[in-house]
Amino acid sequence: MDKKLGVYICKGCGIEDALDMEKLEKKVPPKIKICKNHPILCSPEGVDLIKQDIAGEGVNTVVIAACSRRVLYDVFDFGPVIVERVNLREGVVWSHKPQEAPAEGEGPQVDEFIQEMAEDYLRMGLAEAERILPPEPYKEETIDKKIMVLGGGVSGLSAAMEAAKAGYEATVIEKGPQVGGFAAKMRKQTPWSHPYEELQEPVVEQLIKEAEAHPKIEIRTGIEVARIAGAPGIFDITLKPAGAKSAWDIPEPVEEVEGAEAPPQPPGADEATPDNPANILAKNPDAERFGAIILATGWKPWEPKEEAEEPAQAEESAQAEGEGEEAKAKEPSYEHLGLGKLPNVVTNVALEEMAAQGKILRPSDGKPAASVAFVQCRGQGSDEDFPYASSVTSMVALKQAKYVREDGAADAKAYIFYQHMRTPGLTEYFYKSAQQDDGIFLTKGDVVGVSGNGDGTLVLEANDTLLGEKIKVSVDMVVLGTGMVPITKDEAVLNFAYRQGPGFRDLDLFDGYPDSNFICFPYETRRTGIYVAGCARRAMGIQECREDAAGAALKAIQCIESANRGVAVHPRSGDMTFPDFFFQRCTQCKRCTEECPFGALDDDEKGTPLPNPTRCRRCGTCMGACPERIVGFADYNIDSIGSMVKAIEVPEEEEKPRVLILACENDAYPALDMVGMKGLSYSPFVRIIPVRCLGSVNVVWIKDALSKGVDGILTIGCKFGDDYQCHFVKGSELLDIRMDKIGEALKSLALEKERVQQVQIAIDEYDKIPGIIDEFMATIEEVGPNPFKGF
Amino acid sequence: MADSYLVEPDVKFVKQLKAMGGDTLKKCYQCATCSVVCPISPEERPFPRKEMIAAQWGLKDKLVGNMDVWLCHQCNDCSTYCPRGARPGDVLNAVRGMSITEYAWPSWLGRIVQDWRFFWLLLAIPVAFFLVLLGATGYLKIPDGEIEFAKFFPTLLVDIVFVPLATLWLPVTFGIGLSRFISAIHKNAVAEGKAKRKDVNVPDFLKSLVCTVPTVLGHSKFSQCTANKDRYVPHLLVFYSFIGLFVVTNAFFVALYILQVPGPYAQWNPFKILANVSAIALLVGVIMMIRNRIGNKDNASKTSYFDWYLLLLVLGLVLTGGLSELTRLAHLTTVAYPIYFAHLVFVFCLFAYLPYSKLAHLVYRTVAMAYSRYAGREPCE
Repeated sequence: MDKKLGVYICKGCGIEDALDMEKLEKKVPPKIKICKNHPILCSPEGVDLIKQDIAGEGVNTVVIAACSRRVLYDVFDFGPVIVERVNLREGVVWSHKPQEAPAEGEGPQVDEFIQEMAEDYLRMGLAEAERILPPEPYKEETIDKKIMVLGGGVSGLSAAMEAAKAGYEATVIEKGPQVGGFAAKMRKQTPWSHPYEELQEPVVEQLIKEAEAHPKIEIRTGIEVARIAGAPGIFDITLKPAGAKSAWDIPEPVEEVEGAEAPPQPPGADEATPDNPANILAKNPDAERFGAIILATGWKPWEPKEEAEEPAQAEESAQAEGEGEEAKAKEPSYEHLGLGKLPNVVTNVALEEMAAQGKILRPSDGKPAASVAFVQCRGQGSDEDFPYASSVTSMVALKQAKYVREDGAADAKAYIFYQHMRTPGLTEYFYKSAQQDDGIFLTKGDVVGVSGNGDGTLVLEANDTLLGEKIKVSVDMVVLGTGMVPITKDEAVLNFAYRQGPGFRDLDLFDGYPDSNFICFPYETRRTGIYVAGCARRAMGIQECREDAAGAALKAIQCIESANRGVAVHPRSGDMTFPDFFFQRCTQCKRCTEECPFGALDDDEKGTPLPNPTRCRRCGTCMGACPERIVGFADYNIDSIGSMVKAIEVPEEEEKPRVLILACENDAYPALDMVGMKGLSYSPFVRIIPVRCLGSVNVVWIKDALSKGVDGILTIGCKFGDDYQCHFVKGSELLDIRMDKIGEALKSLALEKERVQQVQIAIDEYDKIPGIIDEFMATIEEVGPNPFKGF
Repeated sequence: MADSYLVEPDVKFVKQLKAMGGDTLKKCYQCATCSVVCPISPEERPFPRKEMIAAQWGLKDKLVGNMDVWLCHQCNDCSTYCPRGARPGDVLNAVRGMSITEYAWPSWLGRIVQDWRFFWLLLAIPVAFFLVLLGATGYLKIPDGEIEFAKFFPTLLVDIVFVPLATLWLPVTFGIGLSRFISAIHKNAVAEGKAKRKDVNVPDFLKSLVCTVPTVLGHSKFSQCTANKDRYVPHLLVFYSFIGLFVVTNAFFVALYILQVPGPYAQWNPFKILANVSAIALLVGVIMMIRNRIGNKDNASKTSYFDWYLLLLVLGLVLTGGLSELTRLAHLTTVAYPIYFAHLVFVFCLFAYLPYSKLAHLVYRTVAMAYSRYAGREPCE
């Protein structure tokens, strides 16, 4: 494309007072004919000025040197015209103060360092504008808009209903013989409407009727997924009878080994020919096509592991006892509660099933249970509840305590021993109503143990209760408030035919829940187009599941429509760009395939990446990973950023160091803008380039900067690790790994490792930024100027 | 550490407490705001938090023999600050009612005095008894001439009824109840670690009783209440007027049998003045109490039959007593004698049912306060 650049410099918001505008304009090379300034560029007159040039002069690339790209983007939107923003306001004049106060009587003095900064930014902006192209969306030929809902419980059926009501076809796949899930096995439901006090009849039957009657919903039972191939809009899903073997089953993945080079490969996948189903690339001609998937596979009850230790193991564990770490990792014991040993000790799930069938009876002799103790915590000095316990577990205990009162005589008793009673929001009313029942007795307490009396009656002992230090109660039954384990924890229910394996990665970070970030991105999994709802996302009650299902259904619809328009769905919603690979130079190193946080890339037998653009989130991690630098986006690529780095003028004077900051545009760059907005300031020797994600930072930019004489490079991105805040899950962590390797390379060039550093920051930590930059500048001063300066 | 305690909740007891005015007890969620705001609760093992959980769990044995429920003066500062509306002050009042019934002898009488269904029966007992007594002795008629109550209900007959009531019935029934009560609170206090001493020493206990008297006379605990300050003055009035009337009654007894001076006495007689002043104070006090209870104030104590019974009895007592005197002075013969009859009925009820009614708190609370000082839970002032 032939570019015709127009440069527009704004003088408002303090820019004119701090900078020598004439000098700045002179930095625009003469080949660019159009260079104008305006007192207030964002005013209608200012915008008209640009529009006239677009219409009259044929300007198709506009460089606006004014405020940050994060503001007024809607004002400076000229349709297909490329818009490059040079951040003079937040990035230069607001965040930097002149070194010397102007002498009296003199007008405002232009600070040399600040002026140089503005000039550099202008040069960088021009360099980038020369090298970027307007994006064109990637469109699949045909898109299927049908939604597959995996799981036929309340969440699944509700999701299907919500999708259907919005006009989308939905197919519910249920593994079991009938839909309804656990909700169909309940006696009553905890209340969801005013006054939130009485148990209500389960809604599931009504929901099943509605879903079965809806013309846009198809329900299939006794079916499960053999494999999911493809991408959003074009998922090719092979279904099979539940429990049956299929030629299209995804082979068991090899255990992922930490630090291993290759991603987990199913055995035999490499040898297989393209039409052998063992190959994940093999296409099943009979597969059904769907646009997006809602994962509503729910939960299974938690159960304590068998504790029968074999003698050999016992010896081993005795040896291990000395080593604190091993002892710590040992699963806590639940033996003292008697589950599995005393017949009248049951889980809340077993009690619910019994209550749905009829009255609550002691399993040992079938006598009515006149007194039942509900145990909500492991006890024996521990503050912990059972694994996967939640507010649902608390609510269920209260509900089942009411069953005991319903079934028994007037003096039937239900005890609840808890460490945490979680009844959030309006459910507090339900807690109150249970508490006010004469026969329901609640206390915080540390359960010591449950023992049998021989006649089936149980004695429960507890310490540190509200009633005193040590108490005992004699009861007919003990019910353990065990939690809800997401099915995804132990089963690869989706069976992706993806190179990165059949399940979700890093599930351990979230205890098996497939969320990619529970707080920031509800419903999003690490696989684009798969949205998780209900108890597979977190333990929740029936009503919450219904609301959750609506959210996931809307995400699925958004995904399908985004794929249809060829734009990114999340988190860069609406981004039309997509990674473009220059395959001739690919060395099949598979780094992009391996590093993509979302498994967007598969690869062929040789290892050449096979992109799936609708799976892509446009973070650019592949671009950052590629050692051959063959990956790029229309408006964001190795060359566009590299040329910005090269456009920085590096003076030879020692008192004018130069530091390059690569700042993640999600958190770090807004935080840097905020530094200016809040009137704080940082060193004028830094030059900031925003990047999509630190994962997209290619080490070549760092090498370019260092060989140019830049004294140091600071990358600022989101927090990573267990509580990561990276918008692309792994980006900042991947750069950290790459940086480790850079350290070695620097040494070989006789450059100090300290010159390249990475900092993690959250968006609200803008106040820390000046300190971070100062500290880095001090480090650079200590190690001295880059010896490559001037070469 | 104490052995573990087998908790056996009594659902029926929970229901009884609720019926006695503690209907809010299940609302408590054990935040202990009550124990913190209570101006008179001791710092160690303060009430009423622990009493509330015991009440919720229906643990009768932890409540009825608990001296702490008697240290509470039902200020209702706790109820005012309770975030859940559990009204601990009223719950403890209900527990006290249960405690009175628990230790009453004979226990069936204790139960019926606190049961509204027996109200008329209890009133009918003295009515019938007096009618039979007067009928048998031939006095059952309105006498002629100057009104002299002794002509209608001879003093001897009065004393045949009331002297044994006061000197035999009350000491025996109350004595049995109290001895049960004291051994229960001692056992409970030792078991719960509230008593600093575990021995039983009668002289020391009597010393504690003596040191409790100024507290009772000065209402110094009562005066620490903030939410229900209004209850202080009427209670003080009622308390002192009862003392006044007690003094007067004894004085007239001495006048009649030792000095051989029969009534009625002149209005300027100092004892007569004391009687009249006490009567007026009692009337004012009891009316103020009733007003406090029926006025719909947020922090007003809840009023159950247990409270109404005593209030109505005292009101009846003072009204019939005062009207007897006024109608006598106004020579309203046909009215004066029946009113006097009614007055004697109320006096009978007061004495005969004292160990079973709320009025028993006069003794139980004093003893509990004395025990608390004896056991070192509270200091002697």
